[in-house]
Amino acid sequence: MTRNALVERIEAETGIESRPRYSNQIEASVPRERIISFLSFLKTIGFEHLSNITAIDWIQDSTMEVVYNVWSYSERIHITVKSPVPRGNPVSFTCMGLWPQGRVYEQELHEMFGISFQGNPTQGPLFLHNWKDIPPLRKDFDTEEYSRRAYGYLEEEQ
Amino acid sequence: MSDFIKVSRDEIMDGKMERVLDFFRARSMWMLYYCTGCGAIELPPSMTSAFDMERFGLGPMATPRQADILLITGYISVKTLKRVIRSYEQMPDPKWVVGFGSCPVNGGIYWNSYATINQLEKYLPVDISIAGCMPRPQAVLDMFQKLKNMIQRGEAVGYKKYKLNYDWYKKNQDEVLNREEPVFREDELFSAPPEQISGEKITAGGNR
Amino acid sequence: MLSSIPYTELRELARKDDCIQYELFFGPNFPGMHGNFGYILDVAGSTILRVRPNPGLLHRGFEKLMEQKLWFQNLSLIPRICVVDPDPNEVAYCGAIEKILGAEIPERAKFIRTITLEMSRMTSLLMGMGALGGMMGLYTVMYRMMDDREGLLSLFEWLTGARIYHIYNLPGGVRRDIPDGWTEKLEDVLKQLESNIVEWDRLMFENPVVQKRLSGIGPLTQEQAVNWGIGGPSLRATGFKADTRKDDPYAAYPYLDFEVPAVGGGDALARAVQVREEYILAISLIRQALKKLPEGPFKLDTGNPLKFIVPKGDAYNRVESSKGEYAYHVVSNGDLKPYRVSVRGPSLPGGLALCHEHLPGMLIDDVAIWMASLAICPPDFDR
Repeated sequence: MTRNALVERIEAETGIESRPRYSNQIEASVPRERIISFLSFLKTIGFEHLSNITAIDWIQDSTMEVVYNVWSYSERIHITVKSPVPRGNPVSFTCMGLWPQGRVYEQELHEMFGISFQGNPTQGPLFLHNWKDIPPLRKDFDTEEYSRRAYGYLEEEQ
Repeated sequence: MSDFIKVSRDEIMDGKMERVLDFFRARSMWMLYYCTGCGAIELPPSMTSAFDMERFGLGPMATPRQADILLITGYISVKTLKRVIRSYEQMPDPKWVVGFGSCPVNGGIYWNSYATINQLEKYLPVDISIAGCMPRPQAVLDMFQKLKNMIQRGEAVGYKKYKLNYDWYKKNQDEVLNREEPVFREDELFSAPPEQISGEKITAGGNR
Repeated sequence: MLSSIPYTELRELARKDDCIQYELFFGPNFPGMHGNFGYILDVAGSTILRVRPNPGLLHRGFEKLMEQKLWFQNLSLIPRICVVDPDPNEVAYCGAIEKILGAEIPERAKFIRTITLEMSRMTSLLMGMGALGGMMGLYTVMYRMMDDREGLLSLFEWLTGARIYHIYNLPGGVRRDIPDGWTEKLEDVLKQLESNIVEWDRLMFENPVVQKRLSGIGPLTQEQAVNWGIGGPSLRATGFKADTRKDDPYAAYPYLDFEVPAVGGGDALARAVQVREEYILAISLIRQALKKLPEGPFKLDTGNPLKFIVPKGDAYNRVESSKGEYAYHVVSNGDLKPYRVSVRGPSLPGGLALCHEHLPGMLIDDVAIWMASLAICPPDFDR
């Protein structure tokens, strides 16, 4: 299937409008409530490889965006699915049932951004040890100041 | 560091037996095979047939109970620091710590990271350091020669420093590993991303 | 007599020995572990019942650090994500920036990038084969592979200035041109490495002890590998022919003529043989690229690197490395520094997710071999 035929088919069956970009990629933005049904629809039309789940913190707009990157081996087309989540109440839904490695990606996002995924049983710490501050990848966390206070710099102590 | 007890050379050169033992210790150092960071990629070339380390008496050892040297290769995150301190305290005397690379000296390229410590000297007594990112195998062999000379002269006494100043080291370790309070208070967080297009940086707590 | 019981029955007896249950730290401080990573295992006898991964010992906060540096300054951080195979990372990051800018790099830069990528792949495959041999106890493999690797590392030092972290690719091309005499020396090194393959065959691949030891460990079918997100040589060893160099080409791969090898089988022995096939393919690709190397400029003019701005937008760029699929998601806000860079490493599906499926039921002796055959390397999921 060509890229334009895929764009039309996605619009016809789910109503989500997607845009082609670069030479072999599609981009779509999906509201939070419909994200899991959209991803399972994508899995049925040939997008079977979940590459990455990541998040972006738009602090000026008070939203966070959860981004899913999925690749199709048969069609050789990539789709980037973005789903915004409000910053004051960052809750979304898990895709563990579709792809089992999604559980680890979501656990990492919970630790680094504070987004919780309903239905995912493992939402505890993964990389950090005894962490008491806010999730570190948020934009209101200053890493240089933290490093100076917690670990000290060589020049300042002599 | 005013209450830090220093160890002088005259206190340790006590007797000919110690000198004979140091002569043999310097020629048979076994290092603990624990790759703590990215600097460990230059250890296989030093150990194997490219730059053969075994002709100097150095060899890898699996358990801390039978090792002499703890080689900290590269940066140390907080989780690693806990394991490294335990391994160091399990090693029997005499033992030596080598800081490999620029990261244990002053933080290296990760100086502003929330997850890596900046100075290893505050938590473990370091006997000798190699600079570089990463050090070449020739620098590794050069360092082992210097360490061998230091041991023979009786100057590598980090383990005695650790025992005499244990409270000072323990206080620094607990500050990092067993933190109770968060570092930032509620009012010290940013309200906007700290970058502007002119390149001017907004620091924590507003512009100073 | 114990020795008259066949081996398969003996394994069944060991599996049933569940009178002692304990917790074993297959931990960071262990020679059989690749890098600094730990599994906390619940073991009964010799059989594993449950596994809990303990990552984070190599966590540096890369994604946060990359937001604090300029676009060109990030190139000093990027190779340090993967220590055995740093060049695909640089190409992925620079390729994402070039996608957002809509720029096309010159032809000579594409071919030079391909040559350095394939050389880096060869050093990483040598390290992987050496580690697999070391985990089985066959240390001769490790010693000889390190010696072969030295030839390639000296060539890298001549070209870029450093042995391990090259910092050679820039957005727009490569940092400097190939010096005189470098291509002849590369051809000599390739001849030497190719003649050594006969020795590897006799030592490892046709060795009946190695074949018996490796067969049956960590079996994967094609559907399982695709569903769990495994890529690279481990995916092609199940028989599924998928390679980013053919499906989503970058650099000079559209101009080169090659067939993707896919050995069927799916277990550790098939993955080891797949590594050998990829090694031979890499040598042939370098020779083709050297023959077709064109003249011309080696980078675009990007102006002052301290004032380099990327327009607003985001891009996802993937490359094929020796362990799997590396991908970078780069988001720009029209600023001097990146707004968000997210790194996808190939070891996360294998090391943190697939372990819950494969390890329960396995004997503790096989865990190190399983990790070495799937090329699980902790720095790229700890970041």
